[in-house]
Amino acid sequence: MSHLFDSHGAAGSGWSQPEPLLPESRISLPANLIRRKMPQWPRISESEVVRHFTWLSTRNFGIDTGFYPLGSCTMKHNPRVNETIADISGIAEIHPMQPEHHIQGMMAIFSEMQKMLSICAGMDEVTLQPVAGAQGEFAAMRCIQEYHRANGDEMRDKVIVPDSAHGTNPASAVMAGYQIVEIPSGPGGFLDLEVLRSVVGDDTAAMMITNPNTLGIFEPEITEAAEIVHAAGGQMYYDGANFNAILGKANPGLMGFDAVHYNLHKTFAQPHGGGGPGSGPIGVKSHLAEFLPGPIVKRRPLVEGDITEASDEWWFSWYEPKNSIGKVHQWHGNAGAVIRSWAFYRRYGRTLKQMSEHAVLNSNYLRHRIHQLASEAGIGSMIVDGSSAKFVKHEFTLSLSPLKEATGISALDIAKGLLDQGYMAPTIYFPLVVPECMMVEPTETESIETLDKFAENFVKVLQESPEVLHAAPVSTPVGRVDEVHAARNLTLRHPME
Amino acid sequence: MTDQLPNLGREAEMLSAMNLNSIDELFADVPLEVRYKGELPLPEPQSEEELLRDAKRLLGANRPLSESISFLGAGLYRNYVPALVGQLIRRGEFLTAYTPYQPEVSQGMLQAMWEFQTLTSELCGLPVANMSLYDGSTAAAEALTCAVRVHNRKATQKDVVYVSELISPAKRSVIFNYTQGGGIEVRTLKHTSDGLLDLSSLSLAKGACGVYVEQPNPLGLLDGGLTQIKQIIGENTALIVGVQPTSLGVVEAPGNYGADIVVGEGQVFGTPMTAGGPLYGIFTCTEKYLRQMPGRIVGRTIDNKGAEAYCLTLSTREQHIRRHRATSNICTNETLIALMGAMHMSLLGPDGLNRLALRNMASCQLTKQKIAELTSVAIPHIHGHHYNEFVVELPGSAADCLSYLDTKGIIGGFDLSGWYPERKNWLLITATDQNTSAEVELLVAHLAAWSSAKIQGLSA
Repeated sequence: MSHLFDSHGAAGSGWSQPEPLLPESRISLPANLIRRKMPQWPRISESEVVRHFTWLSTRNFGIDTGFYPLGSCTMKHNPRVNETIADISGIAEIHPMQPEHHIQGMMAIFSEMQKMLSICAGMDEVTLQPVAGAQGEFAAMRCIQEYHRANGDEMRDKVIVPDSAHGTNPASAVMAGYQIVEIPSGPGGFLDLEVLRSVVGDDTAAMMITNPNTLGIFEPEITEAAEIVHAAGGQMYYDGANFNAILGKANPGLMGFDAVHYNLHKTFAQPHGGGGPGSGPIGVKSHLAEFLPGPIVKRRPLVEGDITEASDEWWFSWYEPKNSIGKVHQWHGNAGAVIRSWAFYRRYGRTLKQMSEHAVLNSNYLRHRIHQLASEAGIGSMIVDGSSAKFVKHEFTLSLSPLKEATGISALDIAKGLLDQGYMAPTIYFPLVVPECMMVEPTETESIETLDKFAENFVKVLQESPEVLHAAPVSTPVGRVDEVHAARNLTLRHPME
Repeated sequence: MTDQLPNLGREAEMLSAMNLNSIDELFADVPLEVRYKGELPLPEPQSEEELLRDAKRLLGANRPLSESISFLGAGLYRNYVPALVGQLIRRGEFLTAYTPYQPEVSQGMLQAMWEFQTLTSELCGLPVANMSLYDGSTAAAEALTCAVRVHNRKATQKDVVYVSELISPAKRSVIFNYTQGGGIEVRTLKHTSDGLLDLSSLSLAKGACGVYVEQPNPLGLLDGGLTQIKQIIGENTALIVGVQPTSLGVVEAPGNYGADIVVGEGQVFGTPMTAGGPLYGIFTCTEKYLRQMPGRIVGRTIDNKGAEAYCLTLSTREQHIRRHRATSNICTNETLIALMGAMHMSLLGPDGLNRLALRNMASCQLTKQKIAELTSVAIPHIHGHHYNEFVVELPGSAADCLSYLDTKGIIGGFDLSGWYPERKNWLLITATDQNTSAEVELLVAHLAAWSSAKIQGLSA
């Protein structure tokens, strides 16, 4: 066990820096603002810092370590050249308030990304500013709110959310000032149009939904749902968390959506970084464009006097939508994530739909293999599909309720058992509508061999004894972690003497 | 053809295992009318080499501050990120992990974030810290909504918060967007002509839910008066202080003068400006705010054998559990960037932090002293104590001056008319630890040339 705060080296830093440009005696500070006690940070050498964080990294699981089928999170391979590109000083050392003629190259990439994202989702305008999916949801709810206000529709104060939605949907809508109307899923996990009809009205501001939904199945009646919401005067919002399933195959614009967000850290391979950073641009149809957060990049043909090495054709400039909601982030969003995602999409270009085809192919193949091997092992009835759909999209859900009833083994136990096999566990207990749920998303970047091996090991874990699984994991850096103890004995930082 | 799909060319093998003939059968449930028709109108797929060539050409057309003489800051500061940060952060175990929902295989990131919480808690002088918010502006906004949740019941000014009038319009806009949904009214606190907070206006904030001020303030001024705020507003109003975190190497931690919540833009520790993101918002507070705070928190605990372990805790505040009753919608945050910050802070130690703060102050104060020697410009807050930046009043517009300096290869600062439209002639000049004496001399010489010419032009 290595602790950062165990080392208290001598005064003087292990980290040398140049002298200040003025001696300390000539630096002025209000007397009552002089820091009396310095923070108790460690005093350790560069070698100790390197060793400490390297050691920590060995106690962490990433996509680079092994298969990471975390449903809803799209844990695909992160191409390494994207990191090389993000380190180029022409992005890393750019200040967001530099004049436009200093940053034409970056703005060219922003412009290309806005256009690419618009095309892929059938939207008219995109802002790259929101820095996470949830922030995209929030920004879009604000745009929809201002749209209704501009139309004199202030009474529209309700947002409809299916019970299978991501938790961020209702949380984001509430932050914008809306009340939530949660509707139950119909048979098979699909949207129930009768229920939808019964809740829409002149208080409906919007409906938020992801498609394919969180069960991994495509909503076949999505256009009808959009018609119902639109007829009531509401707007349709597409949660792009599951966009990896349908990019280039199905078009949210044609489904009737007015606004979407994109998770660049899911669909476009911005590394997830242990919890972030992400990037959550939003796209809208033209009637919402004037409300988007700015600035947005616009381009015009070059004219005489323009000097740029970024393009032979275009000059790029910032543009503020005329009734913009303002800002959700201090600057232009997570530019570093946008650049990485640009690099990712360029590897596919016009063949980007192959990405979604393979994500869906891998998902269905893995689902098929798990059921096949479970049946062969005589335990096929212990796991049931979360949905009755014949085919799924990029992810699928399994209910382990029969297993739990027969053996007492829970989805959590299976998750911990999978850790012992060298895998990240799938998402568990989500969506809430599937009891003892496991949500599996293999992504397009896993080979047949990896999927076959996982199916084999998954079925092996299903057959483990309750004693073994209740005690799992045993081969990880620590055993099963006591989360209740953590909440009851809050220790949120290192105690100092 | 892309090189990113391991099963490309093996589709038939997989399909036949499922008794299928084509991938399209897997999309049979997608109604025809919503299908994407035709091929995406996008460029040809690129190899890594072709892509890198394009990226270098495009990004090479930009003018990075590292290759410029720059005095631009205004909330985001040029810094030096130690080499180990960029290298260690590319460990795939960190880079390619996600939120540590399975603590047994996420101890590395969990412990690192627990250490980050300790580092920022010590820095700000408050006992509780979270794993990061998106940036300094959202940290300020979420601090205000958190203050309302904690104080609204007892507040005599319900749903009211006060914010310094100097706060940049971008931050003000973020605060508006985050607070308007909850029906929170944001009122402003005045500053006096010396740029400091008008303490006499603070009695207005008594009984409100929270007060947000910055130290140093947006004009670069360190304001000793902030140490008196808590006594004026009292226990039932949260004092929220936004900091430039490196300044806390010389400047008192707000937690030690009554702040209830301290937030800041973490970028100066660990990450270059990156055109404004990804950054990370520091959020620290007293225990009173713990259960209403936004964002993820790591706690130390034990495993089933009693061994030390770490996990996410107090998750019942969060959207994935509490849904529409969550304290915030934040899910994906800025963990990796916070980790870069933790690495940088660990390397600095308290003495390195002190040195870094002194360097920032010295650069700023040297620049100010040199410019004060010019008769052609004025420094409105000349008697103030500055950190990183200060205002120069010019004999012409700041925009004009910046254009002139740009032709000399100098990024001269920030045109404050962008924040305060009536201040056409105010230039915010920023100097950080990265500026050299030679750069300062050059700025002063060109500023002298421009401003003298301007004055001659005016008098002619």
